[in-house]
Amino acid sequence: MAPPLLSVEGLQVQFHTRDGIVRAVDGVDYSVGRGETLGIVGESGSGKTVSSLALLRLVPPPARIAAGRVMFEGEDLLAKPERELGAIRGRRIAMVFQNPATSLNPIYSIGSQLGEILRWHEKLDRAAAEARILSLLDLVGITDPATRLRQYPHELSGGMKQRIGIARALLCNPALLLADEPTTALDVTIQAQILDLLADLRQRLGMAMVLVTHDMGVVARMADRITVMYAGRVCETASAATLFSAPRHPYTRALLESMPRIDHRYTGPRQLLPTIAGRPPGLLNPPAGCRFAARCPEAMAECRTTLPVETVVAPGHSVSCIRHGSQGIAA
Amino acid sequence: MGMLNYIARRLLFSLALLLGVSVILFALINAIGNPIEILLAERPGVTEEIIQSVSQYYGLDGSVTDRYFTWLGNLLRLDFGTSIIYNQPVGDMLWTFGLETLKIQIPGILLALALAVGASVLAATRQYSRIDFGVISGAMLGHSLPGFFFGIILILIFSYWLGWLPSYGAYSTRNLLWDSELADGLWHMVLPVGMLAFFNTATLTLLLRSSLVDVLRQDYITAARASGLPERRVVMGHALRNAVIPVLTYLGILFGLMLGTAPVTETVFTWPGLGALYIMAIQQLDYPLIMGETMIITVMLVGATLLTDIAYVAIDPRIRLG
Amino acid sequence: MEGSIALAAPPRPPGIWRQGWFRFRRNRGGMLGLVLVGLVVLVALTCFLVAPYDPNDQSAMLRGASRQGPSWAHLLGTDRNGYDVLSRVLYGAPTALAVGLGAMLIASILGTIIGGIAGYVGGMVDEVLMRCAEFFLVIPVFIVILAVVRLFGIMVVGTALERVPHLNLMTIIALLGLFGWPPIARMARAEFLRLKQADFVEAAICIGATRRDILLRHILPNALPSLIVLVALGIGGAILAETMVSFLGFGDPKAVSWGQLLYFNYESLKVAPWGSVAPGVAIFVTVLGFNLLADGLTDAFNPRLRQ
Repeated sequence: MAPPLLSVEGLQVQFHTRDGIVRAVDGVDYSVGRGETLGIVGESGSGKTVSSLALLRLVPPPARIAAGRVMFEGEDLLAKPERELGAIRGRRIAMVFQNPATSLNPIYSIGSQLGEILRWHEKLDRAAAEARILSLLDLVGITDPATRLRQYPHELSGGMKQRIGIARALLCNPALLLADEPTTALDVTIQAQILDLLADLRQRLGMAMVLVTHDMGVVARMADRITVMYAGRVCETASAATLFSAPRHPYTRALLESMPRIDHRYTGPRQLLPTIAGRPPGLLNPPAGCRFAARCPEAMAECRTTLPVETVVAPGHSVSCIRHGSQGIAA
Repeated sequence: MGMLNYIARRLLFSLALLLGVSVILFALINAIGNPIEILLAERPGVTEEIIQSVSQYYGLDGSVTDRYFTWLGNLLRLDFGTSIIYNQPVGDMLWTFGLETLKIQIPGILLALALAVGASVLAATRQYSRIDFGVISGAMLGHSLPGFFFGIILILIFSYWLGWLPSYGAYSTRNLLWDSELADGLWHMVLPVGMLAFFNTATLTLLLRSSLVDVLRQDYITAARASGLPERRVVMGHALRNAVIPVLTYLGILFGLMLGTAPVTETVFTWPGLGALYIMAIQQLDYPLIMGETMIITVMLVGATLLTDIAYVAIDPRIRLG
Repeated sequence: MEGSIALAAPPRPPGIWRQGWFRFRRNRGGMLGLVLVGLVVLVALTCFLVAPYDPNDQSAMLRGASRQGPSWAHLLGTDRNGYDVLSRVLYGAPTALAVGLGAMLIASILGTIIGGIAGYVGGMVDEVLMRCAEFFLVIPVFIVILAVVRLFGIMVVGTALERVPHLNLMTIIALLGLFGWPPIARMARAEFLRLKQADFVEAAICIGATRRDILLRHILPNALPSLIVLVALGIGGAILAETMVSFLGFGDPKAVSWGQLLYFNYESLKVAPWGSVAPGVAIFVTVLGFNLLADGLTDAFNPRLRQ
């Protein structure tokens, strides 16, 4: 089997605060094949955003990448000198951000922001860069691209800004697109449009994609494989079909149960949408053992003392839960 | 059109302000009575006639309103009147002394700007580091150290103790440094410019660093980095320009108050500029000089605030004047 | 009446001030500022006990011992008028605090009332008042104060006002206050505008609270934290301004103030530097204290503003 395009191994990101070390990402592994879409799902605070920023070494201080490897096209990005990493950022791996309102620089016109990136990476002259940008704006479905070039972000709608954010990511034909909650800040109708656009672009351009989201619906629609994160660790990774049909980790199952279903009637007494009781643990001094143990309906005494290790339980399906076939390390 | 309209309205407001300041000051000066009388009152041999003829010479006879309108009419023809103590046209004096003031103020502010940008970038890009802590602490100390007291310390160290630099004046009266007027002038400028630069750097750094820290945390900065732009371009091109926006108001005041803060600097270094002249003018009740200086200083401040507004529009496309 | 309501009240969540204090306590700079300001206040309250000499004791001059360097008899030396520098510096503290507090009292009362009315009433009133504030903001305050102090000093000659003790100092305080209100008014306006629409104010209106109650019990207390930061900064600023006015020779010759000390001793800087350095350090410590305090208060009350 060919090596995957991207593989993340044992990634740890820590925030050094006055109160101590917060382990926001604590040993995360996943991989993405060429042209594949991996969905990373988790609730807010589960470390999914920080871990995707860490791929390009972009975590803001006081956060620090404490350990791990990020293998991309055969090289460890975490060990690369800054200068060489700069040639990968935006060129081989590009990002789409959550909030289109804040991810474009307010004081530069669209044309100058996008042109700067293109000229830097591809050494294109002004005219060639502009032609390239125009064709990309067209590709992401922006009407009247020539006018947009001269406009500023505040003159555009949210959906339009996100399309420009996507165009910016595609400028240099990246092999991998990191999309961090690309639709969360948008209206529902625009969300659907943007997701369609991403799916369409992926197919046309043959990119791999890491789609970070808290929305099970979004991954169900977009992802080939799904990784579920909880409190800075991976719970379960499986193909989209397997994850939805045969989830193993109790957290995954709880997540799926708490999705509203159109074929289920929530009527009658106590027939509310199920939720997960309790709150995620603080990551300052995370509990020993399984992070989910405190909220897990299946937890045993052993869960609180043993750290589960991600274990392959079926081809392409790995789980870290000692109740479901994982090995564990006594903490 | 909105912009021109705005500027026109601002100019009208400024004109009203200038008129207001001049009326109040004129009224106050005249409320004390005839300055010639007060100045000459205790000299021996001064008779009523002498006071009268001197008053007439300086146009101090006639009613207060008449005099105000005469003064105002002359001002419109850029005639500031004649200084009582120096017996020279006030306009000429403002020009000569003003140049001396600008000679230390402008280098002081520009130097401060450069230093503050350097220190802020250094600190903000290394937030939470020792360097950052050092820059903040230094800036806070400098910001709280009264400028004139810092000047005094500079004089103690570099003039009295080490004997390297002159402690007063803009030129040597004899024995020019290296027999060169230019070298001598620059030599005298070092301490005043140093004091102004130091003081302004501290405050500017505090403001700019905190603004830069805010900007560096913005998504569009992460996005610029994620696009592969080199750190230098991200910080200097994308972050700094955004970070300057909230500091513009202060920068405007800094330039606008250049002449307004001069009295202190020029007293410390006995510098022959507008500030020292102003002190002299109020002590001697030289009212044409007081009026002329106040007008110039206010015009400068008002002009700087107008320029600040225009700078906002130039830098930030989101801002529209109207 | 007792026991008519037997329900235990739920524990009250810490109020805005307590929360602020919790955050303030963690701020090292702010705490240092509090200590420095506390020190100045302590000196101001006890200077007449701890100062080794009377501030107006010039006997050293009669002994030919003016401009003497630090010694056991005069820890910070004597100045060119034969005063004991340490005693004068200590006695300068109450003057400085009087200037800072007095000026900011005037400025904050004016600013809160003007800004509060502008923000609460809005419309034309707001427009006029804020134009007025703008007017004051683009006046070169410092040089106007210099002129007014000087002219007022001449004006009172021969009137009953002349006999008022420290008239000159009070003029300076009043002027600093009169020119210091616009920033406070701007902040007060913004806060009143914001709070006017806050849910709890609407709730108070719904239950029929009087306008007086709404303004004084609901809006004002919630606007205070933001205003207090400006007041702390302003106290330092006013002290500094008085020092500069005095240093330029327009201060109160009878007041014992740090600026006056600098003014009198600057001429003999070369032979008796302690006479200038000691009051300079006192000003520095005081202004630093208030600046750090204001910084800590900003962090404590607007935690979102900075991290």
